[in-house]
Amino acid sequence: MANKINMVQAVNQALMNEMELDKSVIVFGEDTGLEGGVFRATVDLQQKFGVERSFDTPLAESAIVGTGVGMAINGLKPVVEMQFMGFSYPAFNQIISHVSRMRNRSRGRFNLPMVIRAPYGGGIRALEHHSESTEALYAHIPGLKVVIPSTPYDAKGLLIAAIRDPDPVIFLEPKRIYRAFKQEIPEEDYVLPIGKAKIVQEGEDITIITWGAMVRDVQKAVEMVKEKDIHPEIIDLRTISPMDRDTFVESVKKTGRALIVQEAPKSFSVGSEIISVLNEKAFLHLEAPPTRLAGFDTIFPLPRGEQHYMPSPKRIAKTIEEIVNY
Amino acid sequence: MKYEFRFPDIGEGIAEGTLLKWLVNIGDIIKEGQSVAEVETDKVTTEIPSPKSGKVVEMKYKEGDIIEVEQVFLIIDPNIDNDSKTQDPPQDDEKLEAVEEETAGVVGEVIASSEEIPPSTEGQKVTSPKEKSKTKVLATPVARKLAKDLSVDITTINGTGPNGRVMKKDIKAAAQQSVSKQKGNVITKPAAPVYKPEEDQDIERVSLSSIRKTISKQMEISKFTIPHVTAMEEIDITELVNLRKKYKEKLSQEDIYLTYLPFIIKALVFTLKKFPIFNASFDSENQELILKHFYHMGIATDTERGLMVPVVRDVDKKSIVSLAKDILDVTTRAKENNVNLQELKGSTFSVTNYGSVGGLFATPVINYPEIAILGLGRIVEKPIVKDDRIVIAKILPVSLTFDHRFIDGAGGSRFLNTLADLLEDPEMLLIKG
Amino acid sequence: MKLEDYNPLEDKIYRIMDKQGEILKPEDLPEFNNEQLLYLYRTMLLSRTMDEKQLSYQRQGRMLTYAPNIGQEATQIGSAYALEKKDWLVPAFRELGAWLVHGVPLKNIFLYWYGNEWGSYMPEDVRVLPISVPIASQLQHATGIGLANNINKENNVALTYVGDGGTSEGDFHEALNFAGVFKTPTIFVIQNNQYAISVPRKNQTASKTLAQKAIAYGMPGIQIDGNDIFAVYSATKEAVDRARRGEGPTLIEAITYRLAAHTTSDDPTKYREDAEVEEWKIKDPILRFKKYLEDQGILTQEWDEKVKDEIEKEITSTFEEIEGQSDTEIEDIFKYHYETMPPLLEEQLNEYKNFLREGEV
Repeated sequence: MANKINMVQAVNQALMNEMELDKSVIVFGEDTGLEGGVFRATVDLQQKFGVERSFDTPLAESAIVGTGVGMAINGLKPVVEMQFMGFSYPAFNQIISHVSRMRNRSRGRFNLPMVIRAPYGGGIRALEHHSESTEALYAHIPGLKVVIPSTPYDAKGLLIAAIRDPDPVIFLEPKRIYRAFKQEIPEEDYVLPIGKAKIVQEGEDITIITWGAMVRDVQKAVEMVKEKDIHPEIIDLRTISPMDRDTFVESVKKTGRALIVQEAPKSFSVGSEIISVLNEKAFLHLEAPPTRLAGFDTIFPLPRGEQHYMPSPKRIAKTIEEIVNY
Repeated sequence: MKYEFRFPDIGEGIAEGTLLKWLVNIGDIIKEGQSVAEVETDKVTTEIPSPKSGKVVEMKYKEGDIIEVEQVFLIIDPNIDNDSKTQDPPQDDEKLEAVEEETAGVVGEVIASSEEIPPSTEGQKVTSPKEKSKTKVLATPVARKLAKDLSVDITTINGTGPNGRVMKKDIKAAAQQSVSKQKGNVITKPAAPVYKPEEDQDIERVSLSSIRKTISKQMEISKFTIPHVTAMEEIDITELVNLRKKYKEKLSQEDIYLTYLPFIIKALVFTLKKFPIFNASFDSENQELILKHFYHMGIATDTERGLMVPVVRDVDKKSIVSLAKDILDVTTRAKENNVNLQELKGSTFSVTNYGSVGGLFATPVINYPEIAILGLGRIVEKPIVKDDRIVIAKILPVSLTFDHRFIDGAGGSRFLNTLADLLEDPEMLLIKG
Repeated sequence: MKLEDYNPLEDKIYRIMDKQGEILKPEDLPEFNNEQLLYLYRTMLLSRTMDEKQLSYQRQGRMLTYAPNIGQEATQIGSAYALEKKDWLVPAFRELGAWLVHGVPLKNIFLYWYGNEWGSYMPEDVRVLPISVPIASQLQHATGIGLANNINKENNVALTYVGDGGTSEGDFHEALNFAGVFKTPTIFVIQNNQYAISVPRKNQTASKTLAQKAIAYGMPGIQIDGNDIFAVYSATKEAVDRARRGEGPTLIEAITYRLAAHTTSDDPTKYREDAEVEEWKIKDPILRFKKYLEDQGILTQEWDEKVKDEIEKEITSTFEEIEGQSDTEIEDIFKYHYETMPPLLEEQLNEYKNFLREGEV
């Protein structure tokens, strides 16, 4: 039977698969057990594998991550959920002080093969704190990996890779596209490489680097500029840290122009880092300044103002043109 | 066109539901949003609202049946009343089922849609149909801006910087060349076909030394830029020969080797001062002649390695003896390959004395970017007519090549006349100088 | 002993041996043979001497900042002694006695305070986590280790420590709460040494005792005399057994005193009275234990001196082994962030190595 599913179902499939394969994979968080998670990402896991392997915790994010640390030290593979990225902040201390450091601190005696999953990003007309895009905070910390898929296929392959990774991975799921589209993906398990970007579309005129929910908006914008004979190359970063610099550097050496599209706030962001890398590695190939098109350096607006915040396909298209005509 | 209402995934990843109760009948006119049926899933029992207004045409299941998600369970005819919608319902309708998950997310609306995207192309090479071939160059942003400002196409420039980087000076040079091409004579050098010897010919390949390459390049530039014209003259230097004979012996005791060249140079200086255009260069960028009020003489010297033109500077300020010394010094060192680069540059006029080897007249090539050159042939004894009598005179044949863009034939003749006058009366030359 | 007999709300503090070395509760006296008693005593001396020497080295400029354990030897050694080799020890940063008991090599301890991460690299069979600097955050790990133990269906416990100050941190409450909910085999020992740097215990919480906070999280809590090695051992053993029986976590508040400064960069005369320190010196855990052993005829003067001499030599020679030879290898700074070094780190490492090759640092 066809396996045409959306992203949140793909996440669920990945978890199903890995829990079946590896008895040390344990899934927990707030409302993740019985109910299967507020987005149903962990649905049916408890029913299938029992309450010992998929369970609900008290409301304490720091404890969810901290307990996960202890479990990982004692031989398990915790896949914990932060209900929303905006609620991961109480766990920030455990993540920065311990999750990212345990291997280095103990010179490899202890390592943490754990995954911290969280729905992230805006566009769902929600309350405050439910639209965060602060991946840069985690990417800045040495010892962590940060992964953001943009399609169901990538979500399943990358989550499986993250669970199997001996290092801790922050897995951010762009909730705006949790159910926005379906894709035919293999039913069996498969792994996509963490640390490798994907060239979604080749082109000669400009390199657009993006990730998460913005990939689709970039694709829409690229359709718009095709009429003006502009052919961008689209790169889906997929892993924020460690970033696949080679892929986008080679691309910019070819096109001479770069645009980073992100929904996160502009300053001190992942886009800022990409531009620094381009500056170091592709300086002599640049025909226009590499540019970030991003959310404003403001708090994400409440729903009535949300439509202004994330770069729209129109805005992306306009910026592409500007850069190509520089 | 009838609308087929497919049983939706009302959330929580259901696959099917049980139709508990129909809330409409065939023939009913219903409004969009109106509940059409009560359905039970393993999570909830809920009413299903219609996404379209219209007439209920067909109800495909009966109460108690199990319906799978995506199965058509109700058909509605939307084309009633005044709706002038034609043909197929736009495909977008089916895609934009914004189903609000009742409990999912607990906050906000995650849009659910059955829109499909193509399967992943992971691992496959994704090529775009259009393949433009663009020349790429390495250059800093500053250099690129300079190219833009000077209207130079940076992709046509060969960079002289590291790894072939196009430097600012490359851009400036290219700009100059294109300006002189535009504003000056538009000459395109015909591409000469490459000579290839035939097989089995008795040949020997000799590679070019770097100095030969340089000379060859200079000759091309000079000949190709300047329209060369040569005027020739025979100058009676009998008096000069006698003068030299008189002092040669004495001076050689002081280790001073006296030739004719210092005298000729003295005469040249006078002549150049009288006709300054012969001591000039052409500024093609600004389309101006630059007359030089200093006099550095290039002395063409035949060396083992090839032609070199060392320069004696400020010849107008030097005595005959001084000139003799400097000429000897600089030409000797040139032959010994002992001159530095500075000494090979900066001449304002040049002299070439092929006569010392042999030959009477020639068409010497101007030493670019000078504007004229004087060639000296072999001094010969010849019978001439003087004061109605035939006498034997010492004749110096000279060949003056000049740039015909700026000097006309008459100018060349006048120059030679003045030079000849001075050389024919050397005592006057010395008194004046 | 029974934990429920010592309800902290009823001002009951568990003590077996008083400050004079007299046994108050002979029925609770642990059944140690002489060898074990002398081992405990020797370890306390080792800990004490180690502290004194470290402080001295620091003042000589040969060691960096150090956090001494002076006065808390019984709390640390007595509790850790209740563990078996396969149990887990999850320290904060002031648990020298516990490390020594649970198998951490002296060299490791020196290396850590000397400033080299290899100090935290435990031998394979030593289940001790590295020092945790963010206060109370390690308690969560102990809960997690316990939870994993249950899932793995093993029979090991996790013993973890926190200071009186640490009980105010959110992680303390979250860890105890989780431990209670999931019934993890975790023993939480509060080393209540009366001060969190300069803040006295009474300003840390409005609760009368720290042990009573256990009630909020559905587990037994008990106050014990932290300077009585027998009580410490006995109470911890009971908690360990309880945990192994699957009855869940316990909170033990060991009342003791920090006789020295918080660290070598702290001057306690600024916030406490000498009189108070003197009062607690009389209650020194080593003092009373020594008296007990002497009274029992187990400890002789010669043995005492011999062992002190041995300890002195052991410490000195270990320190000399690492002094001046423990600079961190440059590769080590980069190698242990991920299982496989990513290209970015390789690049940075190579760049730096090239810089060094050219001469200067």
